[in-house]
Amino acid sequence: MIDRRLLSHTPWALLFLFVLLVGAGLVNLYSASSLRFEDGLGVESFFRKQLVWSGLGLLVFLGLLLFHYRHLRALAWPMYGMGLLLLVGVRMFGKTISGAQRWLDLGPLHFQPTEFVKVTVIILTAKILARMEGSLGWKELLNVLAVALVPALFISRQPDLGSALNILLIGGGMILFKGLRPAVLKTLILAAPVLVPFGWFFLKDYQKQRILVFLDPTADPRGAGYHVLQSQIAIGSGGFWGKGFLQGTQSQLRFLPEKHTDFAFAVFGEEWGFVGSILLIGLFCLFLYHLALVAEEAKNAFGKCLAAGVFFYFFWQVLINIGMVLGIMPVVGIPLPFMSYGGSSLLMNFFLLAVVVNVAMRRFMFKR
Amino acid sequence: MSRFRPPRDAPLWAGPTVLFGLTVVLFAVLGVRLWYLQVVKADFYHSKAQENRTRQRVLYAPRGVIRDAEGTLVAENVPAYAVAVVREECGDIQATLDQIARWTGVDRDALQKSFELGKRRTKSFEEQVVVPNVTFDTVALIESQRHRWPGVSVVVRPKRFYATGALLAHVLGYVARANEEELARDPELLLGDDVGKLGVELALERRLRGKKGLESFEVDAAGRVLGTTRLRDPVPGEDLQLGIHLPLQRAGVRALMGKAGTVVVLDADTGHVLTMVSSPSYDPNEFVAGISQARWNALQEDPLHPMQNRPIQSVYPPGSVFKLVLAGAALEAGVVTPSTIIYCNGKYAVGDREYRCWRRGGHGRVDLRKSIRESCDVYYYTVGERLGPWAMSEFARRCGWAQATGVDLPHERIGVVPSPAWKLERLGRKWVGGDTINMSIGQGYTVATPLQITRFVAALVNGGRLLRPLLLSSDAPEVQGQLPMKESTRRLILEAMVAVVNEEGGTARVLARPGIRIGAKTGTAQVVKLMDQYEKKETKDIPYKYRDHAWLACFAEKDGRRYAIVAFVEHGGHGGSEAGPVAGAMIDALFGRGGMP
Repeated sequence: MIDRRLLSHTPWALLFLFVLLVGAGLVNLYSASSLRFEDGLGVESFFRKQLVWSGLGLLVFLGLLLFHYRHLRALAWPMYGMGLLLLVGVRMFGKTISGAQRWLDLGPLHFQPTEFVKVTVIILTAKILARMEGSLGWKELLNVLAVALVPALFISRQPDLGSALNILLIGGGMILFKGLRPAVLKTLILAAPVLVPFGWFFLKDYQKQRILVFLDPTADPRGAGYHVLQSQIAIGSGGFWGKGFLQGTQSQLRFLPEKHTDFAFAVFGEEWGFVGSILLIGLFCLFLYHLALVAEEAKNAFGKCLAAGVFFYFFWQVLINIGMVLGIMPVVGIPLPFMSYGGSSLLMNFFLLAVVVNVAMRRFMFKR
Repeated sequence: MSRFRPPRDAPLWAGPTVLFGLTVVLFAVLGVRLWYLQVVKADFYHSKAQENRTRQRVLYAPRGVIRDAEGTLVAENVPAYAVAVVREECGDIQATLDQIARWTGVDRDALQKSFELGKRRTKSFEEQVVVPNVTFDTVALIESQRHRWPGVSVVVRPKRFYATGALLAHVLGYVARANEEELARDPELLLGDDVGKLGVELALERRLRGKKGLESFEVDAAGRVLGTTRLRDPVPGEDLQLGIHLPLQRAGVRALMGKAGTVVVLDADTGHVLTMVSSPSYDPNEFVAGISQARWNALQEDPLHPMQNRPIQSVYPPGSVFKLVLAGAALEAGVVTPSTIIYCNGKYAVGDREYRCWRRGGHGRVDLRKSIRESCDVYYYTVGERLGPWAMSEFARRCGWAQATGVDLPHERIGVVPSPAWKLERLGRKWVGGDTINMSIGQGYTVATPLQITRFVAALVNGGRLLRPLLLSSDAPEVQGQLPMKESTRRLILEAMVAVVNEEGGTARVLARPGIRIGAKTGTAQVVKLMDQYEKKETKDIPYKYRDHAWLACFAEKDGRRYAIVAFVEHGGHGGSEAGPVAGAMIDALFGRGGMP
């Protein structure tokens, strides 16, 4: 099962970047969960839990490399079905944290099925896209989009608009990667301005509030605008060189909310400054470049589509999360890969990376 | 999907180059935004972060205490409780104020008014005092329920207390909450501060107040304090000691027996005020607690004007006491000599009008000494006519009349010494002969404060130095001027004053005390030209407001200690009989057993 060529085709640069990002995430989480005074809450355990999840992730990663990724094609539908079942399970037995029912309680660790569902959507979409020839017409488009739409509707009821949107964007990205017929594309571009205001009526009040606050954060600085203002203060006060590791006043004194999850980048920006932040964004950029390379060099359409799906999985999360923390996008609950605390998300990061590495390693297997 | 079939590579619409291009473009947007936040606006956000975590707190400086000459505390600071709110922490501020009104019994509208006033002067995260001075019972009540009312706190702040109450009210004045105008004028004052409103508390506010300190502290998002730094230490106010002796003050109040009037005692050689009584009086502590409108109205409408500090804020015609000035003026101008004899037959004619001496039968042959001893009016009518109004006016001014004494108390009045020019300007009428006659016996337009007259008497005794009256024992004597008379003239006047007390026919024989050199001059100042119907009646039969004012100005000297004493009883009737015993009581207190050392 292990071929020497597998090793020679291992994308070492991608793995190296991955290790760097996971490392930066752990260091930052250590700072975000450290406390300057005792209050017995033990928030520091976020860091330890993340370490446990990373270890688990590594096992999943290594285990997956042993199998050829083509088996995923056969598993695509069963996995997708299981994902939908988990979503229903969350709806019925889920644990509610800060008003949203997103987690399944698995003893010491909570599992968020949404992350798993994202993965199943990528695999199933890749499978369907790979079978199609040429660019997509209306029928094919709706077929493929339905794969993302069904779980997205479930998730938006949790409510978790961010993840629902994320799934749709991943699906959409993969479709664009595959290609649309020019007529379809033109119609969609023209229809977008009509569809966006229509979507407003489907939003919940707190979701509308977030969008309004995004347009003017100072309107309610103590309430809904608080996250956005405080994160910008954190980042801006970091300045060019940053305040130094564990020295961020905004995060260490807890003015910054959700600093270990969705706003982890603000902690990083405050403590490492412009230099550190640009470096981190550069790392993400390089990481995405290497994912795109895998898509380019994959030996078949399934591999290409899988790699593209993983590309978009990371691309949208990084773009939306950092944009949100920097105050140029509305606040939606989308974590920053590797940086935000969240076991399910980290585990899926390892899983998806394993898929891409697998695609890369086995790209020349049939060239004699 | 057989392993051996070539893969169906459909042409891709967006290849890796497109993907990577998209990434670079969109991530560049993030980079630009990052540059804007962390480089362009770095200073702005840095100061925002500082504001987030550092706050400042004022450290109050204790106000200086005040003691009497013997060291007894007369103004001190005692702890008092006030109810405060932190607006930011109150859920529903109106409901919180409703509750505070229920706890304290304060009128809800008044509470709203004081809240709105203070809102502009305190930040939303600072304690804002809404009800000052609540009782300990109220504090206990609030503390038991406070957990249900976030943002409400009870603060302990020092409160002024005047242990002697009404006894020193006019001298000390009082402090009360600074009003809007005072807050606007004085940037050092903060909302809820007490500030001197009257008396020494007002006049010496700067020395008593001290300087507030400042402390900065770091907080976290929950408002918990993480560490404090002293930026400026508070400087306590200066402790002050009055020259006033409480036993003397008490003797003065007792002697006045509740009548409207005043007693002032000066150390003739230094100018220190040893007694300054204004009767009736009021309790300054009422004002510190916040006086009710009803009480305030009652004080203002009291016909005896208890708030008036008579020794400096009231001016009265000096009556015959003014003869001391005229005697000096006449001798210095040379219009009489000590031995010049003027005949008094009880009448004096000017034009077709006739002015009477207070003694109907006349004093017969009168020289200067007898004119003072028996207070002969005809003698001074004559002298006044010889001097003329200009000379009288000029001399009186140089003796300190119609000149501020400069005592450290607010609202001092300066009185009037008229002249033809003054009358023309103020009243628009020409000076007439009758004005000169009136002026020569201290009637008419001439008015002075009791403290001015005391200063004049002190100058007669101490060698002619006009001294500033001093309230604090630490104040050094301050010479303001010299009486415009020769030594011999001054001695002659003093001897005549001694004769008033010790010789047959003197008007103040009640003052005579063995072993003490005492000189005096009585005065009976007419309030109005008495109508004929009251002319022959006894004082008690005349309506109060028409009765004469009674003056007694004297000095007492023994063993090198010299004092100037002025007693005054408003509408008291005859000077010697009404004001005399009051001055006598002061002399006893000064020299008697248990009196001054």
